[in-house]
Order: sequence, then C-alpha cells, then structure tokens
Amino acid sequence: MASQSTVEAWLTWAFSPSISAILVTLVISLLSPILIHIYLYRKAQSKELPSFLLLGPSGAGKTTLLTLFANGTPSTTHTSQEPQTALCRLPSTVRSSEDRYRSEHDTSSRSQPQFLLVDTPGHGKLRHHAVTSLTSPGSLKGLIFVVDSAATSSSAGLTAAAEYLYDILLILQKRHTHSKTSKDPTALPVLIAANKQDVFTSLPTGLVKSKLEEEIARVRQTRSKGLLDSGIGMEDANVGDEEGNWLGEYGAREFGFGQMEEHGVDVRVAGGNVRGEGEGEGRVEEWWGWVGENL
Amino acid sequence: MLDAFEILTTSGIVLWRKQYAPVSSSVVNSLINDVFIEQRGQKSNDGGKNPPYRKEKYTLRYTSAKDVGLIFVVVYQSLLHLSWVDDLLTAVRALFTKQYATELKKPHATTVNCRDFDQTFDALVRKLDTGSTRRPSEPDSDAGPVELTPPSSTASAGEDGVDDEDAPPPIPTAPQFKKPAIPQRQKQESAIVDDTTSTDITPVPTPDTSRPGTPSTASSHLLTAKAGPGKASRRARKANATAWSTSAPASSGDEGPIRKAKGGKTSAKQKRRWDADGFAADDNDPVLDYSAPAATSEPGDGERELDVNEVKAENMGSRTGKGQFVLKDLDDEVDAILASSKSSQATKETSAESSGLLGSATSRISGLFRNVVGGKTLSKQDLQQPLQQMQNHLLEKNVAREAAERLCTSVETDLLNQTTASFTSIDATIRTSMAKALTRILTPTSSLDLLRNITSTIEGPAARPYVISIVGVNGVGKSTSLSKIAYFLLQNKFRVLVVAADTFRSGAVEQLRVHVRNLSELSRREDVGTVELFEQGYGKDAATVARDAVSNATNAGKGEMLYDVVLIDTAGRRHNDTRLMSSLTKFGQLAKPDKIFMVGEALVGTDSVAQARNFAKEFVDTKGQLRNNGVGMDGFIISKCDTVGDMVGTLVSMVHATGIPVVFLGVGQHYGDLRGLNVGWAVDKLMK
Ligand SMILES: Nc1nc2c(ncn2[C@@H]2O[C@H](COP(=O)(O)OP(=O)(O)OP(=O)(O)O)[C@@H](O)[C@H]2O)c(=O)[nH]1
Ligand SMILES: [Mg+2]
Repeated sequence: MASQSTVEAWLTWAFSPSISAILVTLVISLLSPILIHIYLYRKAQSKELPSFLLLGPSGAGKTTLLTLFANGTPSTTHTSQEPQTALCRLPSTVRSSEDRYRSEHDTSSRSQPQFLLVDTPGHGKLRHHAVTSLTSPGSLKGLIFVVDSAATSSSAGLTAAAEYLYDILLILQKRHTHSKTSKDPTALPVLIAANKQDVFTSLPTGLVKSKLEEEIARVRQTRSKGLLDSGIGMEDANVGDEEGNWLGEYGAREFGFGQMEEHGVDVRVAGGNVRGEGEGEGRVEEWWGWVGENL
Repeated sequence: MLDAFEILTTSGIVLWRKQYAPVSSSVVNSLINDVFIEQRGQKSNDGGKNPPYRKEKYTLRYTSAKDVGLIFVVVYQSLLHLSWVDDLLTAVRALFTKQYATELKKPHATTVNCRDFDQTFDALVRKLDTGSTRRPSEPDSDAGPVELTPPSSTASAGEDGVDDEDAPPPIPTAPQFKKPAIPQRQKQESAIVDDTTSTDITPVPTPDTSRPGTPSTASSHLLTAKAGPGKASRRARKANATAWSTSAPASSGDEGPIRKAKGGKTSAKQKRRWDADGFAADDNDPVLDYSAPAATSEPGDGERELDVNEVKAENMGSRTGKGQFVLKDLDDEVDAILASSKSSQATKETSAESSGLLGSATSRISGLFRNVVGGKTLSKQDLQQPLQQMQNHLLEKNVAREAAERLCTSVETDLLNQTTASFTSIDATIRTSMAKALTRILTPTSSLDLLRNITSTIEGPAARPYVISIVGVNGVGKSTSLSKIAYFLLQNKFRVLVVAADTFRSGAVEQLRVHVRNLSELSRREDVGTVELFEQGYGKDAATVARDAVSNATNAGKGEMLYDVVLIDTAGRRHNDTRLMSSLTKFGQLAKPDKIFMVGEALVGTDSVAQARNFAKEFVDTKGQLRNNGVGMDGFIISKCDTVGDMVGTLVSMVHATGIPVVFLGVGQHYGDLRGLNVGWAVDKLMK
C-alpha cells in the first residue's frame, strides 16, 4: 500500500540522526509549551467580570428581568430549562460603589461598570443549576431572589417561594460557617425583588417581606423536625448537627431577615416590576441601585 | 390556520414569534414543563419527529436545535389537521439557525435581531401551506384577528401591478409591508384569490398550490425574479400532490373573475380540467408548463397575485431585486432542506468511512488527542460505545432496561454535535450529562413537606384528620413502612390512628396490633403522641373499613377531632391480579386519602416498573382523571435500601416509569430507620 510505505519512510526519517530531523524535533519541543501556554491563557479569561445570580420560583420573572437589564427592554419569555448569562452595563443614572467618592461634577470620562447576570431555571426539578452556580467559585457579588408578589398572596405560591428561599439562605449560612474556619468569608448580599408590583392582586413590598418571614419560620420549624435524609454522612457531615441546620438565630420562634446578618448574609427587600401596565415601562430603579451598591 | 409560531431558547427567551391569534403563554409553558422538563409521555423518537402535544384546544408541534439551544413551536387549533407544519418546522429550523448562526453562537446573547425573519417566514408559509383537512363536524374556527387583506384590496393590488406594467413601479409607502399576505381570508366574496386545493369553507392561503397559468408577459419586468419561486413551488406542489391528495378542488369555479381582474388570459384556463386531487389534469400541457425555461417569466397566477403585493411593498424600494433574489434562493433551499430531511429519515445514516489508511490513522490519532484535550465535536459513533458502557453500568446498578435506555437516549440527544470542554474526555462528558439527567429524574417537582401538610390540614376552621394510605404488592414491607411513618408522626406529637384495612390475609391484623402495641409503649415512654388501632376483623370490604375509620377519627362530626392522622394499611396484592387491583379504585374514591404512598422493594429482580405502573393507574377519581395531576399516587417508599448497597437503580426505574417521586427510603429494621431521599446521594451511588 502506498500510504503505508509513506508512513514508513516518514518514520524512518524521523528517527534518523540527520540534522533536519533533530532540528524539527528541537523546534517542536521548544514551541509546544509556548503554544500550550497561549492556548490555555486564551481560554482562561483574563479578567473575570463580577456576576450576580438570579434565583426564584418559576414564573417569578427572572428571565424577563435578565432581558430587561441586558437589553433595556423585556422580552417575552417562557419557562426556562437552562441557565442563561448576559452581559449588562450599569445605566448612567446609577452610581456604582466604586464611584462613591467621585464628585457629582466630575466630568472626566467615567465608564459604567459591566457585570454578568446569571439567570437560573426556577422549576423544582432544575434547581440544581442554581445551587451549582451558587457554590462554584467565581466572582459572585450577590444574589437576586425574584418573587412574584401576586403569587405570594396565595398560600401555595407563598410556600413555594419561602421553601426555595429557605434552601438558598441555608446554603449561604452554611457557606459562611464553613469559611469562618478557613479563608475569610465572602459575604454575599441577597436582594429579594418583589416583582410584578404592577399587578392588581399583588401584595405591597412590606407585606411580601413579612409574609415571607412568617412562612420561613414555619418551614424552619417543620424542617427541623423532619426526617433525616439519606445523604447523611456525605460531604457536610460536620455540620449535620441541629444547630448547623437551623436557619438564623438558633431556637428562635420568629424568623426575620435581620437574623441572617449574623451569618454574613445581608438581605434587602425591594419592590418593582419588570413589565408595566402599558407596553414596556417597568420600575426597576431600586434593583439597579442595589446592584450598583454591590458592584 | 396557525395560531402562533415561536422560536425560543432553552433559557426561555422568545427570540422571534408570530402570533396570528393571541395564545396564552401558559400553553407553551405547559409544553415545556411536561415534555421538556418532566419528559412525560414522550416516546423515544429517533426519526426526529416529535409526537404532537395537546393542551386545551390547541395542538402544539415542536422541534429543537440542540446545538444552538433553540426550540421551535407551532400552535394551532386541534380541530385542524395541518399536515404541513412538520415541513414548516424543519424548514424554519434550518433557515433560522443558518441565517442567525453567528448571532446565536455569540456568548451571552439574549436577543437576536431577527426582524427580517418575518419575510422569510411568510414566504415559507406561503410555499408550504397546503391547507388543512378539517373535521367535518366543526363549522368554523378562525385564523384570529389577523391583519386580513380584504379581497378587494388584494385584487386592486393585482390590478395596480398590471396597470403599471410599463410605468416605473410605485415607490412603496412603507418599507415594512403589511404583516403577511398570508391569511387572506375572503369570506364575504366569492372571488377566492388563492385557489387552494383544500375543500374547506375557509380558504386557506396557499398560493403556491395554485396551478400556474395566466401568462402575462407584459408584467414580466415586475416578476422576472419571481420565476424561481413560481417554478419551485410548482415543483413542490408536484411533490406534495400525492401527499395531500385527500383534498379536492374547491374554488376552480371562482377563478374566472379574479383572473380576469388580473388581466390574464383567462380563456386558456377555463378549459382546464381538474382531476380528483385538485390539480389540473392536463398538468403537463406544454402551454401551461411555465416552468419550462422559455417561459420562466410567467409564474403561477396565485403566486403572482401575492407577488404583486410583495413587489410593490418591498422589492421595488431601495432593495430592488435583492429581496426577490433572497426569496428565490429560499425556495430552492427549502426544497433542499425538506428533501434532505426526508431522505435522512428514510435511509438511516450510512456511516461515513474515512478514506485511506493514512487518513483514518491521523483522524484516529487526533481523535484520541482531542479526547484527552477536549474540544471534540461528538458524533453518533463517538458516543455509541461509551453510552453502551454507561447503559451497562446502569443496568448493573439495577436500573430497569427501559429506563436505562431512555436515559442513554436523552444523554445522546443532549450531547450529539456538542463540543467537549477542554481537558474533558468523552467519558467524563457523558458522566456529567448522565448525572444531570438522573438528578432531574429523581428531583421532585415540588418537595413534600409532610409535617407542614398535616399541620395545615388539622388546623383552622376546616380541620379534619389527614389520611395517608399505603399500598403495594405482597411482602414488600407495607406494614413495616407504615409503622415507621407512624413512629415519625408520633415523634412530632400527632395522634395517630392505624387502620387495618387488610381484611384479606390472615394474620395481618394481628401483625399490626403488635406494631401498634410497641409504638404506643415507645411513645408513652418518650411522652410524645398517641397511637391506636382501628380494626373490624377479616372479610369486610377494605374501602368501607377505611371510611368508617376516617369518620371515627373525626368523631363522626361531633365536636373535637379524635385523631390527627389516619394511616391505612391495605392488603398486598399482585399487580397483575385485576380483580384485587380494581378494588383499589373504589378504595381511593371512598377513603379519599390525602396521600397514597406505594411501597416498593429496592431488591434486585422485582418487576418494579410494572408494579408501579399498574398501581398508579388504579387511582382515578370519579371523573376518570388520575389523582395527583394525572400521576395517580403521591410518592414511593422504597424499602430494604440497606440490603442493596450501591444498587439503588430501582429508585430510578420507578420514578421514570410513573413520574411519581420517591419520598421515603427504608434503611433498616428499626422504627427510626426511615429517611427522606437525598438526590445527590442517590446519583452519587448510581454513578459510582
Ligand atoms: N405584569 C407583570 N408581569 C411580569 C412581570 N415580570 C414578569 N412578568 C411575566 O411573568 C411571566 C414569567 O416570567 P419569566 O421571566 O419567564 O419567569 P422566570 O422567573 O424566568 O420563570 P422560570 O424560567 O420558569 O424560572 C412572563 O409572562 C412575564 O411576562 C411584571 O413585572 N409584571
Ligand atoms: Mg426563566
């Protein structure tokens, strides 16, 4: 076979002690580490942008919020199945924390900082996406937990939101407890965005907050009495004790978001709506403001 | 007609859509929930054709482009039989992914500027729409508030085109022409513009199926470039002729006037005969065959009818010629797309063979290299062997074959044509994908918080006891599991009534009595809840016993409730014993349990899947609807998990077969050996 003999000839040459073969080998051996380095360097993004994570039950308006932040107008959306990352830029009306000490009249060019917004599916079966993005290392700056203020007026909707929020807050609390022993904890602030304030049946922001707190207290109560799960003895066995699994102030009857501060989680509740009555016109300034503060 | 067409990403953003009628967003949402997330009622489809999904009065058809993460959905009324929408989906998928490939592949893309897709889509619909075969019973459904072009205006548009035949074409008033020329529904007028091949009352916009005719050389300067579409649609029509042969000519009689209005040579046409399929019988008549090169300037009249519109609107402006050119290309392209999709369905992928020894050697070496380094695009062959290994691995873990196959298929569709991440081998990629699939299957849609449910039921103004019943085949550990649940409830200070509704197997009542005695001894010592046994001996109807027990727990409506939770033990039955199984239905309807749990064994060699299915389907309410959102039962208790080690595949098989979540695991002989399911733990064991 012709091709076989070609291979053979080529191999013979490659192993022969001729100058050209040596040179070629030399060049390859010198170049390959450089090339590999360049390849890897390109892959690893030179500078990681700060990112925020969008969480919340299905239908709360996360994806709509993402498109609004990224493009300026909300898109039509359906239930998400996959996470989605978008590059957003802080609008010029919002001042980021970096600009805090800048004079109002400073006209020197000031570029609004960019950040990544990560949307996660809220469907019960797909929340592992949210948990993995939450626990994976990255320059996560904060969480935005979106709730549908209209749905929280029904008990089922309220429970769904509270249970999810409870899980997330517990993860954050455990993260904090863990990191206390090792490195310094990166405190992650949480914004609870009471969305859909435009809807007639929606609860006002203050009520959303207190209802969520009440419900979380109830969830906490039953969770503490619930069955152990089969995962006992897995990774986080060391915090398997009762106190480590209790969200907020241990033993307290009432739950308030203030209790999370002790665990390095700053919770803020702010209302708004992504979509408005008339086409477009949402009210999201408060949320932008929060993002600006935490950038 | 169509109600809506949507193109959305897997992350839920609608990139492009066209609504002919307002369709509630919940319709598409439930498609996503049921088919894509819960993967319910989906057959393994290798041909690429998905079964239609029905919701409310709509039928939804869909297809997806995995590599760019897009889903294409058509919504139309179930009354209509639109057999051409499959072709539409295929064509739109191919065209859209091609046209916007670069934008879609951009990282962080959340919108795609696809305004101009409107035109492509309209052209596609016009080309492919062959009408609908309507079920005769239904008088009318509508195309919705579409921007209807009244026939008169269409006709005048046509006349305009003819009038202006020698004059320079008018400048279009608006660059974006009126939405589609598609649903030209002319109800009030007998002059039907589009001579569709369908029989229905509502004329369906299918200009392309009209036979060519009415040569009008004079207007050729307007239409020259349209020859392509005319030709192609003709071809398409021929191709389709056999497929849609159910429809019959409808409007041939009405064609005279309209054609006259368009200034065509009507005389030639009136002589034409129609065959049963709605096509001109003398189709091959040389005079009429305008697809011949010599006559390229004369497109079909239906085609022209719309073309005039189009030419006026868009092609005559600054983009003269270009739009037409695109459309011409499009036509050929669509034909090619459809042909290739058909042929690929017919002939199952013949594996491409690399040519030559050297070629195969290098490709293999680079393949190995890429396998290590990553960045390999996965083909079917690459996946086949590792997937087979994965399937065997799952089978070893005691996952039922059916479930293992489905999981592997879903992993395959997930990964096909994907590129592996850097420094990730194919095996590792498959493992991650499989772990994800398993997590999704095992994670319940909404988690069960039994204590909360009980508390909210037994409190408040409408307080009543919470009823749980346990079913299962013989000897799987029903009574043991029931006692474990009772113990758990007692720890939470509930008053529990255990009901011996197994009035069939001798010794069943005595066995429960022993459990109850132990439990009440335990709870007395620990000073927690109270437990009692309710029994009426053997031989009585289980459903009646259960009902009596519940009314006993409520104190027959007189004052205080006596018990908080009623736990009903039922007789074990073979799942293929139809007589005993059917009594479960009555039991479910009479006792009205809040929760029905089925106990299944984790042991190897039980036909768990068939068991689960047969039990689930018995629990229908009086309306014939399956309980709990159509899944029948509320959860599985998998017993004897401590005896199987890592082989916890039964969990997957049962959930897969029924969509019912696993809520508890029995992990030992003691009353306290009941656990909730930790999905991470189970997936870990399965992937080990
Ligand atoms: N009236 C009103 N509707 C809103 C608002 N925000 C979102 N919606 C609507 O709520 C629905 C759900 O929004 P999505 O963004 O898809 O919800 P999601 O949180 O991404 O849901 P999942 O992807 O399933 O987790 C959409 O139909 C939105 O149009 C709002 O502020 N007001
Ligand atoms: Mg979403």
